[in-house]
Amino acid sequence: MLEISSVSKNFGGLAAVSDVSFSVKEGEVVGLIGPNGAGKTTLLNLICGIYKPDRGSIRFDGTDITGLASNKICKLGISRTYQIPQPFESMTALAGVLVGVLNGKKRSHMSLPDAALEASYYLEFVGLFSKRDTLARDLNLYELRMLELARALATTPKLLLLDEVMAGLNPTEASRALDMIWSAQDQFAITILWIEHVMKIIMNATQRVVVLQYGKKIAEGPPREVTADPKIIEAYLGARYAQH
Amino acid sequence: MVNFELRRDRIVARWRDKKTEWVIEPRYWRNPTIGIGILFLLPFFVYSYPHILTMITTANLYAAIAIPLALQMLGTGRVNFGPQLYLGIGGYTAALLNLHFGWNPAMTLLATIVVCAGIALLLSPTTWIAKGLYFSLITLILPLTFLDVTYIWGDIFRGEVGLVGMSPLLSFDKVTWNYVAYYYLSLILMLLYLLFCDRTVRSRIGISMAAVNENENVARMMGIRVDAYKVFFYVAPSILTGIVGWFIVHTFRTFAGVTYLPLEFMTKILIIVIVGGRAFLYGAIPGAYLISIVEDSLRALGPVNYFVFPLVLIALIVFLPRGEGLWGLYKKRRPRDYFPKLHVRRE
Repeated sequence: MLEISSVSKNFGGLAAVSDVSFSVKEGEVVGLIGPNGAGKTTLLNLICGIYKPDRGSIRFDGTDITGLASNKICKLGISRTYQIPQPFESMTALAGVLVGVLNGKKRSHMSLPDAALEASYYLEFVGLFSKRDTLARDLNLYELRMLELARALATTPKLLLLDEVMAGLNPTEASRALDMIWSAQDQFAITILWIEHVMKIIMNATQRVVVLQYGKKIAEGPPREVTADPKIIEAYLGARYAQH
Repeated sequence: MVNFELRRDRIVARWRDKKTEWVIEPRYWRNPTIGIGILFLLPFFVYSYPHILTMITTANLYAAIAIPLALQMLGTGRVNFGPQLYLGIGGYTAALLNLHFGWNPAMTLLATIVVCAGIALLLSPTTWIAKGLYFSLITLILPLTFLDVTYIWGDIFRGEVGLVGMSPLLSFDKVTWNYVAYYYLSLILMLLYLLFCDRTVRSRIGISMAAVNENENVARMMGIRVDAYKVFFYVAPSILTGIVGWFIVHTFRTFAGVTYLPLEFMTKILIIVIVGGRAFLYGAIPGAYLISIVEDSLRALGPVNYFVFPLVLIALIVFLPRGEGLWGLYKKRRPRDYFPKLHVRRE
């Protein structure tokens, strides 16, 4: 479904992503892990068109989306959430999701009330329906992350890019969020590419992980095998721990 | 036989099997309706004072410039410091075509729209390349450049004296009727702008526009064609401002760049937007009336005016709630959302 082949991106002299290739098949949940500054979020930005890759190509559903504008990529069926939530602060939760419903794909004949009804469905799905008229700036972190999820789902994506959904959530909220993402995958038949630091969740939730370090891919495979690899432990914890 | 029934908060009228209700409790009054009603009745009280009629006509025109400006600020997410550029372009287009080629007002209106649209389209890429202070600075410099042009090519534009003697839109035998007619025309123009902008903000375009105003990158990621939106919301208000210039040309029958293009005029318009509330379209109307009343009452003081007027304006900015303005005071207890609430029935 998503094929990334030898993609590179430099910021000045810094190679943020260099020569990364992997692919995501339909219906899969793929984890993207790596230490801080490994280029995970840059890779996500390259996929969804915020940056243009210097070299390499990205194909989605057989279409070449390398360097395409974000709005066209969104219309093709890729949607994302942000590491630091970026809500539309002075819009209500409902209006924020409404933007996704109206613009996610071509809906020239949908009236505003119809769109609001559909948006409220997504809000109810993530459990924020009671907060529909609250301004986004008044929501807490968990609610903001759920709002981002609802907003991303509202654009009817085939591929959802999640950027550290669990960061800053307490264990209860994290397990609720995990359930939410699983049921979203069930209900809307979406494929997920998931950046995460919480290893416990990655181990449970994904079928395959891709490990980045210093912008290069150092491993790929089922989470159990990858985390047993001394190279990965070295990348995360330093060489001393790998020996034990 | 019509039956009237007085309830606590409403009057109910019944006729056969039909029923109409009229809510009389003040908090349910449709305040915009009352405001517009007052504006329509105003000339009946002041029609013997042409001076006041001119003042409120000017106030309407100020509002007609400030309302599209507020829409432009919302739609592009940028503060335009030079809306009067298009006032100048529209005014000069209409005036020159009318004076030199004898075009009638309808034709000059068309020409104004075409010229303003063309120039706005040419300048609209500034919304892509610049934002924040840089956009404000670029837009600030453009009308001043145009003012210089009117001095340099003084034989065409008559920079200092202005153009006079354009054909009027309407002309009656009695002078007072002219004043009243122009007041109503300006009021209708302003209300049409208000209607257009209000409809736009409340439509599905308005929702996406609000998203662009909030965060361009996220809006683009959600499938909005941000660049197209910004061009549209730069061009459409520019055309509306240009039409005000056309209106000034054909009602006051004199147009000078030196009146409308300098910084003072821009300050007035910006202050109307600030006093009336940055994001509230309706706020421009009380803002415009307040500014023109202040301006007019200080004019009698003569040269003092130049010191007192800025001071009064600064006081207005300081003492009105930040960024919310007069309309904000009224709206304070209401939810400040971009879209009316979705009411879910529980039955």
